[in-house]
Amino acid sequence: MFIQAAAADLLNGSTLIFPALECFHIIGFALLIGSIAIVDFRMLGIGLMRQEPAELSKSLVIWTHLGLAFILFTGPLMYSTDPDMYYLNWSFLIKMILLVAALMFHFTIHRKTVKQPPSSLSRAVAYASLTLWASVVFGGIFIGFVAQGL
Amino acid sequence: MLSFCQWLQATSFFTDLRGSGIFYPTILSLHMVAIAFFGCMILVTDLRLMGVGLKSYPVGDLLARLRGPKYFGFALIVTCGVLLAGTKAEEYYYNIFFRIKMILLLLILLHGVIFRAGVYRNGAALDAGGLTAQAKLAGGLSLVLWIGMAVCGRGIGYIEPNLFLLHAESRGHAVHFMNVMQVMQEFIASIHS
Repeated sequence: MFIQAAAADLLNGSTLIFPALECFHIIGFALLIGSIAIVDFRMLGIGLMRQEPAELSKSLVIWTHLGLAFILFTGPLMYSTDPDMYYLNWSFLIKMILLVAALMFHFTIHRKTVKQPPSSLSRAVAYASLTLWASVVFGGIFIGFVAQGL
Repeated sequence: MLSFCQWLQATSFFTDLRGSGIFYPTILSLHMVAIAFFGCMILVTDLRLMGVGLKSYPVGDLLARLRGPKYFGFALIVTCGVLLAGTKAEEYYYNIFFRIKMILLLLILLHGVIFRAGVYRNGAALDAGGLTAQAKLAGGLSLVLWIGMAVCGRGIGYIEPNLFLLHAESRGHAVHFMNVMQVMQEFIASIHS
């Protein structure tokens, strides 16, 4: 907790670090969500049809993990600058629930389905994955637009 | 240009959009979702052109098969972007990050035209003869320009609008303001009587 407090002091004392973190957060989620979306679109018959979904997923996993590292590094740091505001923001709370759901879905059902031959089930999984990740982005944007406090 | 921005945001369409509390964040979210879904396709292509990642995937195949989705994503991002910018056209006219972002967008389109014949429609030759310096340059330029777009996009929100210069009205707020005035007048009248 002391480390977090020290980091927050540093962040709040600078006008540039927070927007810089936001930029890395955007590039991070573009990598994380985008690399998953390429696999999802493949399962829906769009884009890189020459490769199997499992092969695509394997080739892109490094970008998925890099993006995940970016958002998990920048997200908590941004949270630490104003914890009370985020903790009492219903859009933030919904976003965290959706993020956990999306990650759990990705590392369980999605990971298994990618290796299966195409079916109506794999299409449903692809749609669910895209919807979950899109809703996480919506949750993030609405943090800045909903009324303060619960 | 300034008078065009003032006219654009004063149209009843954009005035109504400005007054709607839910519209702006919804379109902004769609803008970001489109970046998330399609932005990575650009990054992957750029890195492949630079010789980084997805080396077992033929360049020609990657370019051809991602072209459709990338055009679709670009159209979605631009549509949302126009809707967002139109609501605050006059304010953004003065915004330095918005101006840089528009210049970067023009440079991206220009780079697409310049490298069209040599790189983006020349995938088969790049697979046969190896990645040329031109292909690596195109990939690197695209990568830098698109990251610049993301950074400037985030920067736009950090420029405080100069309220003395702006003429923007919001129909929703104007109506609300008139309601408040009416209630106050009735209240004052009730005190007097």
